[in-house]
Amino acid sequence: MNAVITQHSKILVIIPACNEELNIKRVIDNLRKEAPEADYIIINDCSKDKTREVCRNNGLNYIDLPVNLGIGGGVQAGYQYALEKGYSIAIQHDGDGQHDPAYIKDVVSPIIDGKADIVIGSRFVNGEGFQSSYFRRLGINLLSSLIELCCGVRVKDVTSGYRGVNRKFIEIYAAEYAQDYPEPEAIISGAMYGAKIMEVPVVMHERTGGTSSISAWKSIYYMIKVSLAIIIYRPTLRRRYQ
Amino acid sequence: MVSFSLQIFFLIGILFYFAAIFYLLKSKVLNLKYALMWLFSGAIMAVIVVFPIILKKFSVLVGISTPSNALFAAIIFFILLILMSLTSIISGLNEKNNKLTQSLGLLEKRVRELEKEL
Repeated sequence: MNAVITQHSKILVIIPACNEELNIKRVIDNLRKEAPEADYIIINDCSKDKTREVCRNNGLNYIDLPVNLGIGGGVQAGYQYALEKGYSIAIQHDGDGQHDPAYIKDVVSPIIDGKADIVIGSRFVNGEGFQSSYFRRLGINLLSSLIELCCGVRVKDVTSGYRGVNRKFIEIYAAEYAQDYPEPEAIISGAMYGAKIMEVPVVMHERTGGTSSISAWKSIYYMIKVSLAIIIYRPTLRRRYQ
Repeated sequence: MVSFSLQIFFLIGILFYFAAIFYLLKSKVLNLKYALMWLFSGAIMAVIVVFPIILKKFSVLVGISTPSNALFAAIIFFILLILMSLTSIISGLNEKNNKLTQSLGLLEKRVRELEKEL
């Protein structure tokens, strides 16, 4: 990242972490090495393992949620923190080692240049790195088409949790954010608030420890639920953020 | 037509139903706000038991051949209504729980930082 970027914007990296005692230290070390200009906040979503102790003993910057809220509620707490501390850009970055902090500059620069309000780090733009299983890709493609059909935005990697937003959407997401499986829904709500959404290529890794928030068993339920949520989102939209 | 003894039996049942609701209200395990729908459905049951002709008129009106089936349909309808309102109450509580948890988390972080400065 160049000096111009750091001068003009305060960047916060939001790292949701639930049961990531094995990964979180390494993720933060990587982040400090690759993007030292950005601040970070770990959201410990009531982990049952020693995530909290790891954060405390290593002097990491963390928020400790007393009740497990799931990825949506956790990330939203991060946006609330970003709002409170006056950050101009917030980046979502998983705490399980799937995301590579080297791409933060790619996610940030379209926002700084004013080319986009929301930037999504996508595995499928260049097709490099870990591409997920065939069925999961099929599911992601279906959701992607459904979102395009329902609200006219074309995003290939709709389930990517690697994304960045500008100040306007920090405010919006702090006030309202989808709770259960929020990644696809956050894209639609962004589109409904008139966001310019852009995808940049990133390379993701296969997770190295911990368990994914979406197990194979829940995949079908996930597809049905998210599809329904996408379909009914627009007709039931009630704007809380003015 | 509903027999007199059956009417008495149902009325006693409804009395117990109201007694249970009032007991829960009195021991403060049930909020009045949420008890209203139970009281309302109890009142409708009582009216139907005292004046079974309402049920008969209703079943003729909507074309249900036996009044007892109209009764079941009405009961199922009210149960669905109550379940739906329960779901909406839970959703509201869930949202409040989210907000509380988030602001508690943010506050805890501020307290932790202030303690460090002391």
